[in-house]
Amino acid sequence: MNAVLEGKSAAPSGAPVPPVSGESGSVSVRGLRMSYGSQGVVALDDFSLDFPAGHCTVLLGPSGCGKTTVLRSIAGLITPDAGRIVIDNAVVFDSAARIDVPPERRRLGMVFQSYALWPHLCVAENISYPLISAGVSKAEAAQRTTAMLEWIGLGGMGGRFVHELSGGQQQRVSLGRAMVAKPRAILFDEPLSNLDARLRERMRLELLALRQQAPFTSVYVTHDQLEAITLADRVVVMRAGKIEQVGSPEDVYRRPRTRFCADFVGIPNLLEGTIRSASGTDVVVETVVGAVAARSWRTDWTPGAKCSVAARPSLLGMRESTASGARPGRVIRSIYQGTSTIDMVDVDGVNISLESISDERRVPGEAVAVAPTPGAVFAVLDD
Amino acid sequence: MTPAGAVVAPGSTFVTRSIAWERVILSVVAGIAVLMVCYPVVVVAVRAFSKGEIGSALTFEWLVAVFESSRSHEALVNTVIYTAGSSCLAMLLGVGLAFLSTRTDMPGGRFIGILTMLPMLVPPFILVVGWVALADPNAGFINILASAINGSRTSWVNISTMPGLIWMTGLFLTPYVYLLVAAGFKNSDASMEEAARVSGAGRLRLLHSVILPLQRPALLAALLLVIIMAAGDFIIPATVGLKARIYMLPSLIWQNHSSLPGRPGLAAAQSLLLVAVGLLCIYFQRRALARGGRYTIVGGKGARPMLFPLGKLRYPLGVLALLFALSSSVIPLLAVTSIAFMRYWSPYALKPENLTLRNFKYVLFEYPQVWLSAQNSMLLALAGATCCVVLAIALAWYVIRMRGRFAGVVEYAMVLPLGIPGIALGVGILSLWILVPGGIYGTLWILLLAYVTAHIPVAMQFVGSALHRIHTDLEDASRVAGQAWSGTIRRVDIPLMRPALIGSWLLMYVVILREISLVILLYNPSTVVLSVGLMDVWSSGFYPELAVYSLLLLVLGLIPVALFWKFARFSSE
Repeated sequence: MNAVLEGKSAAPSGAPVPPVSGESGSVSVRGLRMSYGSQGVVALDDFSLDFPAGHCTVLLGPSGCGKTTVLRSIAGLITPDAGRIVIDNAVVFDSAARIDVPPERRRLGMVFQSYALWPHLCVAENISYPLISAGVSKAEAAQRTTAMLEWIGLGGMGGRFVHELSGGQQQRVSLGRAMVAKPRAILFDEPLSNLDARLRERMRLELLALRQQAPFTSVYVTHDQLEAITLADRVVVMRAGKIEQVGSPEDVYRRPRTRFCADFVGIPNLLEGTIRSASGTDVVVETVVGAVAARSWRTDWTPGAKCSVAARPSLLGMRESTASGARPGRVIRSIYQGTSTIDMVDVDGVNISLESISDERRVPGEAVAVAPTPGAVFAVLDD
Repeated sequence: MTPAGAVVAPGSTFVTRSIAWERVILSVVAGIAVLMVCYPVVVVAVRAFSKGEIGSALTFEWLVAVFESSRSHEALVNTVIYTAGSSCLAMLLGVGLAFLSTRTDMPGGRFIGILTMLPMLVPPFILVVGWVALADPNAGFINILASAINGSRTSWVNISTMPGLIWMTGLFLTPYVYLLVAAGFKNSDASMEEAARVSGAGRLRLLHSVILPLQRPALLAALLLVIIMAAGDFIIPATVGLKARIYMLPSLIWQNHSSLPGRPGLAAAQSLLLVAVGLLCIYFQRRALARGGRYTIVGGKGARPMLFPLGKLRYPLGVLALLFALSSSVIPLLAVTSIAFMRYWSPYALKPENLTLRNFKYVLFEYPQVWLSAQNSMLLALAGATCCVVLAIALAWYVIRMRGRFAGVVEYAMVLPLGIPGIALGVGILSLWILVPGGIYGTLWILLLAYVTAHIPVAMQFVGSALHRIHTDLEDASRVAGQAWSGTIRRVDIPLMRPALIGSWLLMYVVILREISLVILLYNPSTVVLSVGLMDVWSSGFYPELAVYSLLLLVLGLIPVALFWKFARFSSE
């Protein structure tokens, strides 16, 4: 159906050239503050971040963490209380200098969660809208629109109306519209959360393929950790208007810094504990499952400090063990998930999840001993 | 790359936050609109307490006279009876027809539903002339039929009585009840009713424990609306009512103003009473609708709610419903049409040799002022509908999108005219502008102002609900795609709202064309409009001409409706 997206673009001839040139620029945000309503609910609290040119930066966090506020501030759709936003060396917002360039003059592209395709226009008119707005000649707009339609795999469908397309096709039109005018950056506002699980999976891979074709600057907002770690060059975990952690997808997934981050990237086993000893990034933490050798991104732990230990329910974290140090527990319930089975085990009143690739479900009450995998668990800062 | 070394890009000029012109302009428009709808109430109140024109000594004498003067007291009692009777009738018919046509297996439900709504497009004057033709004690068709059956002069029905007036008004108000209630019945969530059935509720229990309670806010809103409309109704009290010497407040206000010696102070005090009742109803109606929000469940699954089987009553009820639905538009329309072709109208005039086109010739070509007033009417209807829609777009944008500091005030103020009867609004507008020398009094402008003031609430409702339906993402996407505010409105909002805009424009056009009570105090011989001319023809008492004249009004109103019908959407929620 689609040459690029189906991965056939490697073929030397006939592969459409991406109609997006390398014009994208960096985005820099400094000291952004924003509060809403008469109560002054703080949405952003001194938020500063650089979004490098050609990179995909994903803002990850629960709803209300301020990630969408950052995105809409960059777009110019909302006016923050204070701060400064620079896109491709041009100041578009500066509260001190009273500069607020309206969205239509920021030269950005945006993909909305609702797609936000105009139902009264056909597919081609939707895509060419930014070109017409920018004053591109009709002939050139038509030619660029056709090229874009080809590239997103909707060649020949320009005359259709939006409601005649499937959800995935609508999402592509939305993407085409965002990219066609060669914006300085493309903003994604949870673009996949309206799709069903299977389509979301496919679109995620398509987006990845597109980004490899044309590495445009993207700012991507999501609450889905899987989307974040697959699409991002860099993940920014946000919480209550502040940055909780910035790092590569591996960093965030494997080495969360705080209990909040660990919880958000889906680590179920978070055991409260106390630092017994620390040397560099290696620490020993006293927990309910005994003394655990863990690693940490911090080097300034002092013995006696409170922390949590984050351990995935697998060989790379907490596992069943027959070793002498293993702690005995009892199975509470066993949940079959298809690819694996999760056993929830009670160890001295603390719930611990274990994952096994076995199809066997355990009987509640069965005795199991658990132990952490040395070096695969992390000491994280308590909230 | 560093922000410190950043420059302002060429083309992106400094835009300071202090000046956003669209904000300034819309705020000013909103402020003027609030003044426009509020001053008539204030002026009526001040005038009611002033001895003479506004500015003279204050007095309670007019207010006392409303209750003490025997004519006024009589009118007050009559108005209460008339309002209660016609509201009950309208509720009974409106709710009954709505339920039968949407929730039962009555045959022809959809058709009867459309028939019930039809009178909204037909000027109420047609209804009046039609029912006079049908139920006049002497020459009414029904009584002629009765005499023929009986063999001697028999009078079954008499329209010139209080029940007659209530009957006409009840029929006239039925479509408004139907409109407010039928949508709720039709869209009620099947799963909630299924849940009640599964929990052991029988059909009747389901009706009174789930279906009707869910519609309570809509029912209350409909009741309050018809109370306002009945209490402030002018046409029926001022025509058949005055002829039968059944005085009511709206007709008395008119008489106190226009007959000599006039008593404008008493008229203002009577208006104030009507306005007070109207605004009180509006307040409770808003509250009911706001609470109704709790009951509105947007069901994701479009399962059709079950239909109540009527059993043996299916066809009898169907015939009865059809009869009522026809009584409000088709039957009177036929009566009016038949009279229009008669040389004269009397109990024994129903003969072929009495058929003539003379009435048409006379009204269309010989009757003085008919073309002047038609021209004025069309001009005002076109301009008024356009002004209403444009103003409604600006106000809806201010209230819904801009959420300006006074959005709540503006939103509430724009509902006020619904509670002000046309005749009272006329008193308010007149009392102010008569004091402004060289002002708009006596020109077409004051009529235009009155039309826009009276009809802005309905236009706001249409445009507001259309704007609510446009997801803000569609506008944001346009802004990010390089279109400024004005371009976004032009290229995204207006095209998306087009059906609702055309629908509201047509409705405005039709109601402005037929409006009488609002302008009866404001026109002068050079600004006479068609609908007001009807009152003159009425007082002449020559019914065949009256019939032609009212048909002319109907046709002029239907022309644009017929032209643009398919581009319009008439749903307003």
